[in-house]
Amino acid sequence: MTATIKTSSGLKSYLDGKDEFEVEAGRSVLETLISLNIKPELIALVIVAGEQRSKDYVIQEKDVVKVMAIIGGG
Amino acid sequence: MNGYGGKILRVNLSTGKIAKEQTPVDVARDFIGGRGFGAYYLYKEVPQGADPLGPENKLIISSGPMSGLMVPGAGKCDFTTKSPLTGGYASASMGGHFTAEIKYAGLDSIILEGISSKPVYLFIDNDRVELRDASEFWGQGTIAVEKQFKEKFGEEFQIAVIGPGGENVVPYACINHDFGRQAGRGGVGAVMGAKKVKAIVIHGTKSITVSDSQAYRNAGKALFKACKDASFLEEWTRYGTTVVTSWCDEVGALPTRNFSAGSFEDGKNLYGPVMREKIVITDKGCFGCPSPCGKYSRSKKYGSYVEGPEYETIGLLGSNLGISDIEAVAQANLLADDAGIDTISAGNAIGWAMECYEKGIFTKDDTDGLELKFGNIEATFELIGKISRKEGFGALLAEGVKKASQKIGKGTEKFAIHVKGMEQSAYATHNATAMLLAYMTCDVGAHHNRSWAITYDLQVGRDLVVPEKVARVIWLQNFRPMFDVLGGCRLQWVELGIDRNLYIAALDAITGIHRDWDDYEKVGDRIWNLTRMFWARENDGFSRSWDMPAPRFYEDAPESGATKGQITKIEDVHRLLDMYYEQRGWSNDGLPTSEKLAELNLSELVA
Repeated sequence: MTATIKTSSGLKSYLDGKDEFEVEAGRSVLETLISLNIKPELIALVIVAGEQRSKDYVIQEKDVVKVMAIIGGG
Repeated sequence: MNGYGGKILRVNLSTGKIAKEQTPVDVARDFIGGRGFGAYYLYKEVPQGADPLGPENKLIISSGPMSGLMVPGAGKCDFTTKSPLTGGYASASMGGHFTAEIKYAGLDSIILEGISSKPVYLFIDNDRVELRDASEFWGQGTIAVEKQFKEKFGEEFQIAVIGPGGENVVPYACINHDFGRQAGRGGVGAVMGAKKVKAIVIHGTKSITVSDSQAYRNAGKALFKACKDASFLEEWTRYGTTVVTSWCDEVGALPTRNFSAGSFEDGKNLYGPVMREKIVITDKGCFGCPSPCGKYSRSKKYGSYVEGPEYETIGLLGSNLGISDIEAVAQANLLADDAGIDTISAGNAIGWAMECYEKGIFTKDDTDGLELKFGNIEATFELIGKISRKEGFGALLAEGVKKASQKIGKGTEKFAIHVKGMEQSAYATHNATAMLLAYMTCDVGAHHNRSWAITYDLQVGRDLVVPEKVARVIWLQNFRPMFDVLGGCRLQWVELGIDRNLYIAALDAITGIHRDWDDYEKVGDRIWNLTRMFWARENDGFSRSWDMPAPRFYEDAPESGATKGQITKIEDVHRLLDMYYEQRGWSNDGLPTSEKLAELNLSELVA
């Protein structure tokens, strides 16, 4: 049971240069972010299959979950 | 010079003299263009003590070597002047298509000098440059005037125009362009109004030479491909800057009721997806933009159309006023744009007045009968007009929160949210020490775009006061504004995550001169120090106290929301400044040392 998390490129510097992770399905986005050492409060937007979801969304098998961080501001 | 228009246009409004001079090679080398040119000419040519609204002040309008070329977002134009709001340095960046036409007309900068005896507009069509009578346009809103000029001269002409706010020299009047883009901050529109220049109308068809056309094409294509391939292009384009609204609410950065809190109980009604669904009808980009963040909106309730609102306007004319109706925010945005006043400063001024009213400091006798409670939409609309006309109670708010609160007293200075007289943009900084420092030390006053460090606060610990945070703020201050120097937009780099070295390949091919980012950051440091010297030159006693934030952030903890009970301790505010000055190579009073100035080759200029 795996899914994919894609993060903003701007987070790479906090994540050893990576912006894509294979993760287990069945956990919430929030739990998954914490397990990846991504601070949930950095994430502004969670998108799954083009739909906006909350950080409580439970990740399903084969989901591609895009988590958009706010890095630059205006 | 490759990548440059090649000429500086000087227009003396007092005498009517119009002249061109070669863009100096050494100035281009040391200050590059855009904001750098503005800083150089401001320091060098505006005499010490000049009245910001007098004939000695200048308005310097500059493109950069990136402007108008095949680089993503190459549409940024800088407006620099001595600020009538702060008495210090003002530099406002405007998107759209104006800067490209400056280049296509064979220019790099337009310098407006003196004061006209009657309303005029500056007409530029390649080498044809004329001052024309603008009496028929004086008094009209920005949108109507731009529309008339488009009809009169054609769509290919680009227009920068002031509204009644600029004509009435409201010190935070802005300059409008493309029906919704602004050079917003510091009162650049008031300076244009004081010079009696209603608009600049410009079009050019000249080529811009580049050093290596094949390498330039390759580098440009690589940049645009990187934007197209970016993971979050679709999401960024869908929401633009409004993607941060919900996030700011969540982390306690959304200005709420005059920055008394950082989370708004009705904030959900203002979030990006709500706005997209309720009012947005299309996306709108600037010159050469592959990721258009502008949102063009329609309010059914008010029967109006507006570009926006951007996040800053949602924060200041929405939550900061206790307003949770996105259509009302859009309407307030439209009224401010048409009147030609900065939505950020106006939102602060009205928020301050509402807090005064709710505290009983103002009554209806003071406010022209307006019941200035937070959430009063109609009063907000009314005040935007009154401010732009300096009418009744609006005349007080038109002074900006620093001067207005000094005039009223009664402790209202404590909740006038500004640094150096410039009202704070839309990030509440009760507990975000890097962002607070960024506001305290920003070169124009409390503005966010030089150093947007709030995510760094969240990443490393928001109340930490450590040298690494200070170093981050300084790096951002030196690097981010380089896009305003180069004449392009930073958002593709910061939000789409484009490899910044791709820009180097393009810039090298354009100019034929290799410079890496370390070199550009050095230029950023040079400009930062020069503008600091301008502040010191123009303001007696300029020192550490000028860098202090609004007391609200170290005395007045929010009673609700994500930052409930949190403030930055005053001793930490001073520790931040101590570290900042040391890392900048400044004295303990916050002034660049002679050694620092020498290191940056500024000794002669500031002597």
